[in-house]
Amino acid sequence: MSVRVDHSPQIVPERAAAVAAPAVHIRDATLVYDGTTLFDGLSLSLAAGTWTCILGPSGVGKSSLLRMIAGLQSGGTVTDGEGRPVAGRIAWMAQQDLLLPWATAIENVLIGAKLRGERPDRQRALALLDRVGLAARADARPAQLSGGERQRVALARTLMEGRPIVLMDEPFSALDAVTRASLQDLAAELLRGRTVLLITHDPLEALRLGDTVLVMVGRPARFEPPIPPAGTAPRRLDDPALLRLQATLLNLLAGRGPVPVARAAGDVS
Amino acid sequence: MAMAQTAVEQQAPAGAEAEDRAGSHRTGALLRWGLPVLFGLIILGGWELFVWYRINVDGISHYNHILPAPTTIAVALVEDWHILAPGWLVTLWITAQALFWAVVLGVGLAIAFSLSKWIEFSFFPYAVVLQVTPIVAIAPLIITMLNDLDTALLVCAWIVAFFPILSNTIIGLRSVDHGLLDLYQMYGASRWRVMLDLRLPSALPYFLAALKISAGLSLIGAVVGEFVAYGQSPGLAARIVEASYLLKVPRMFAALVLISVTGILLFLLFSFVSNLALRSWHESAVRRER
Repeated sequence: MSVRVDHSPQIVPERAAAVAAPAVHIRDATLVYDGTTLFDGLSLSLAAGTWTCILGPSGVGKSSLLRMIAGLQSGGTVTDGEGRPVAGRIAWMAQQDLLLPWATAIENVLIGAKLRGERPDRQRALALLDRVGLAARADARPAQLSGGERQRVALARTLMEGRPIVLMDEPFSALDAVTRASLQDLAAELLRGRTVLLITHDPLEALRLGDTVLVMVGRPARFEPPIPPAGTAPRRLDDPALLRLQATLLNLLAGRGPVPVARAAGDVS
Repeated sequence: MAMAQTAVEQQAPAGAEAEDRAGSHRTGALLRWGLPVLFGLIILGGWELFVWYRINVDGISHYNHILPAPTTIAVALVEDWHILAPGWLVTLWITAQALFWAVVLGVGLAIAFSLSKWIEFSFFPYAVVLQVTPIVAIAPLIITMLNDLDTALLVCAWIVAFFPILSNTIIGLRSVDHGLLDLYQMYGASRWRVMLDLRLPSALPYFLAALKISAGLSLIGAVVGEFVAYGQSPGLAARIVEASYLLKVPRMFAALVLISVTGILLFLLFSFVSNLALRSWHESAVRRER
């Protein structure tokens, strides 16, 4: 999947949007579900133009928090760095590709324009499909695409919207390991400079992509102190420091607390 | 069906696994069309033989007036075509109109229901009442109340055809992927956009399934209405009643054959339409590659 430089002039508007990516602050997030308090007065700040990854066991409320930021669920205050609401500046990628099964790949990429009644910019959609390596499948329907290809179309659709904040709810978890790694690389490259919140249950994925990695545990849920992996994303899978951190994270998630670094390194080597 | 499958297994050659996919596909098509035709021919042949036996061996010379042989029915179909064809057209026209109104009102009401809980709560129970009341029981009332017979027959057929379309379309409109609804909401889609772009296409497979059912039901409704109004209707069912009074039993059977064939053709037509609309994207029609 080569990145074609000759299309860059068409990507300019969204680069501009990406530069203006705001910080996002969530305050007093409270969620009671079926009488259980999932979280109470939870706060979270996403630094402008960076990737924040949230790890946590199933049912801790990660997805609910994401839906709250997206405005799909009430229960907290969500603002940008200047205290303004973030609605209308958010793009969304979910575990399911959420493609319209009756529409072709390019129609799916163009869905936002259609919904707003704007003139579709097919040229740009094609350029984006090319960037995710699917220019030749523009007229294929989701049923004809593989799981990885469908998520690529979803990524192109997210890019098409050019929104500065991107929320991702385990977007790569249903893919095989090789496809997952290649899509992580692609997403890290194409979404660089935007404010991204990625929810995942895969510690390695969080460590490869995150500028900040947070672990969400407990009930009501709280965040463990943030872990900033060294270097720039996407990080190499064979980086020993990364693998040590993965062991630490696995222990945190299992509720055993951080383990001594030496032992963790011994465990994974 | 079980019988047919056993037959297939026995006929399958030992090296069946070696057969290429295209070949097995052709064999499948041949079996799918060939087996029912073969089965039908066996039944018709047995029937013909049975009637021949009753007439010529048992000496019941009028047996064709009790159970006419298939050939006798075929002859009646040709000879009485000038009587049957006009009636057939009348019944077909009532069926088509009833189905049209079932689609318009069924889909229209389903959309209204999905837009407003108030409308749904108010009207849905009455739609169920329409569905569960036997059409034979209310057809006389409808025919007496409505002065115009054509309208009365149309209403009878419509009542039967309407509910499956309403009920299936409601389920279809509700069966939208929740993730897609979230996505549409985040992209700022209006209620109407969600309806036109998301709910209606999602409901299409359900609607098409209902259409196949309702096409047959609408024909049945028309025939029931005509039976009740036999003295006045120019339709095909009235010809059956008339033929029974005249003891023209082969003609009765010929009319029955015509009704059945019409029902089968309607079913095939809408199966074809459904497959055409869904084959590129819906699980029910996409061919699996294995």
